[in-house]
Amino acid sequence: MRISDRRFALFLMTPAALFLAVFVAFPLFRLVADSFFKISPIAGGPRDFVGLDNYVRAFASEAFTGAGWRTLAYTLVVVTLEFALGLGMALLFTMLGRSSQIWRTVFMYPLMIAPIVAGLLWKFLMIDNFGLIGTLLHQAGILSNPNQIGWLSDPNIVLYSVAIPDIWLTTSFMCLVLFAGLQNIPGDLIEAARLDGARAPAMLFRIILPLLRPVIAVALVVRGIDAARAFDTILIQTNGGPQSASETMSLLIYRTMIRFGDPGLASAMGTIYLLAMLAVAFFAVATIWRPGKDT
Amino acid sequence: MRVAEKTTHDAGTSATAAAAPSARPAVVRPRRRRGVNREGLEAGRRGTRTLLWILLAAAMVLYGFPFLYLLFTSFKTPIDTIAVPPTILPREWTLENYTNALGRNGVLASFINSIQTAIISTLLSLLLAVPAAYGITRYKTLSGRIFIMAALVTRMVPPVAIGIPLASMMASMGLSDTPIALSIAHTTISLPLSIWLMASFFEAVPKDLEEAATVDGCSRLGALWRVVIPVVSGGIAVTAIFAFLASWNEFLFALLMTAIRSQTTPVVIANFQTQFGLDWGSMTALAAVYSIPVILLTLLLQRKIVAGMTLGAVKG
Repeated sequence: MRISDRRFALFLMTPAALFLAVFVAFPLFRLVADSFFKISPIAGGPRDFVGLDNYVRAFASEAFTGAGWRTLAYTLVVVTLEFALGLGMALLFTMLGRSSQIWRTVFMYPLMIAPIVAGLLWKFLMIDNFGLIGTLLHQAGILSNPNQIGWLSDPNIVLYSVAIPDIWLTTSFMCLVLFAGLQNIPGDLIEAARLDGARAPAMLFRIILPLLRPVIAVALVVRGIDAARAFDTILIQTNGGPQSASETMSLLIYRTMIRFGDPGLASAMGTIYLLAMLAVAFFAVATIWRPGKDT
Repeated sequence: MRVAEKTTHDAGTSATAAAAPSARPAVVRPRRRRGVNREGLEAGRRGTRTLLWILLAAAMVLYGFPFLYLLFTSFKTPIDTIAVPPTILPREWTLENYTNALGRNGVLASFINSIQTAIISTLLSLLLAVPAAYGITRYKTLSGRIFIMAALVTRMVPPVAIGIPLASMMASMGLSDTPIALSIAHTTISLPLSIWLMASFFEAVPKDLEEAATVDGCSRLGALWRVVIPVVSGGIAVTAIFAFLASWNEFLFALLMTAIRSQTTPVVIANFQTQFGLDWGSMTALAAVYSIPVILLTLLLQRKIVAGMTLGAVKG
């Protein structure tokens, strides 16, 4: 009475698969289904089938296209900066070797902090009037007035200001992953390049970065997906304002659903957003990562 | 005698290295001489090292400062908290912000909710992920490969997209505004991550281990439970910490799915902004109380956690 290995493997996976089917796949199905209806926000209210009307409205609305571009810009800024900073720190730790181990751990601390707390903490540093950054820059003589830069109130720069907590939170993650990758570079390869007279930039761009490519790809994709979904840090800092200048896709969908009470439209936006994320992620994985054979 | 042994050993390894230049150097550790000639990328010259240490010190100060400022602010008096211009250190150290924050209605209850939700979600995550990851790595079937890819796709789903349908599902199951409902929602985030992590830990367990056990008359489930699980207990601990943190720090689902009864602390922290006007002092105190236990826990278990994080990411 021994079931085959294949059945047994299936038996082991079934509970988790069922869980994901019920609590992820089914809500997603509901989301897509809702996107074809005009839904009253009141529970038990009318549901009218409207075909693709919600999609037409989404693409026609400036809020939606604007949020799309902002999400893209936000993601690019966050991922680029934290990659540069994370790589810098990883190289620094590698060059210092074992003696830097304690500091490597301390450097991880933001990863444990809730994004909501991080957003709050940076808001407190950047806010007009009693924000510390403006004051310090003023005292250092860089700004003529502590409020000269409206970090969170100037619509032209707010999108980049709200990205700071996100960068601060997860540069550690980048650093950690890249550091692990750097440890796997054979020491003799570096030695050989050094004997050939490679200088620092050549070493970095011709040897280290190409060797790190798979690790970099994974780190960028993982972080890109997270950054494109950013919600907590932005909500607490600006709630998408001023004048929607920091309203990214997650915030727009949330507001459309909760504030404006239009679940149908929000579902259509959510569906487009999800499809776009999947497309970008698959493209990224296929082109830069070249998925491995195992698992 | 010792010296001779060492020399032969060195000669042996360098010969292997020369013969197979592409071989992984993990085993071949060249001897380190003090100060100069360090391995690989490690800087050798004393001047360079001093410069690098200065750079590191500057980076650490910049990186550590925001949280330190939060801590300092939490010890200021409520009025000094929003003084213009602000000071870095409190003019007067007081616990007033802490007593204000913790004395507020619902704050202590929210802590209990946070702990409850995180524990339920962690247990649920492990209960589902451990067997699934074992099934995927041990039996390498087609269904397993499809399943781990599906778990990867799950990670890309924006929480805001499934939050509302999920909330209405919970309501129809009679679970709205309960820690159970929220922990189920949090498990949708931590389960895919837990499956990856556990899969990479199981990957490292040699197959002969449970083969020997089954030959000795253990059933496959028995072998998993009595032989394999004890071997990967360290990995399970790491996975548990990640699942716990994912739930502890989560905000969006908590915002969408809880009202008064099961509200977790991140929602309460955010509510300080609207509900009570701008109470910065209490907010910083509560944020500090909420963050410090997990930071300390992490520093305590640092090695394991760092290993788990890189594993999860590099394996991805």
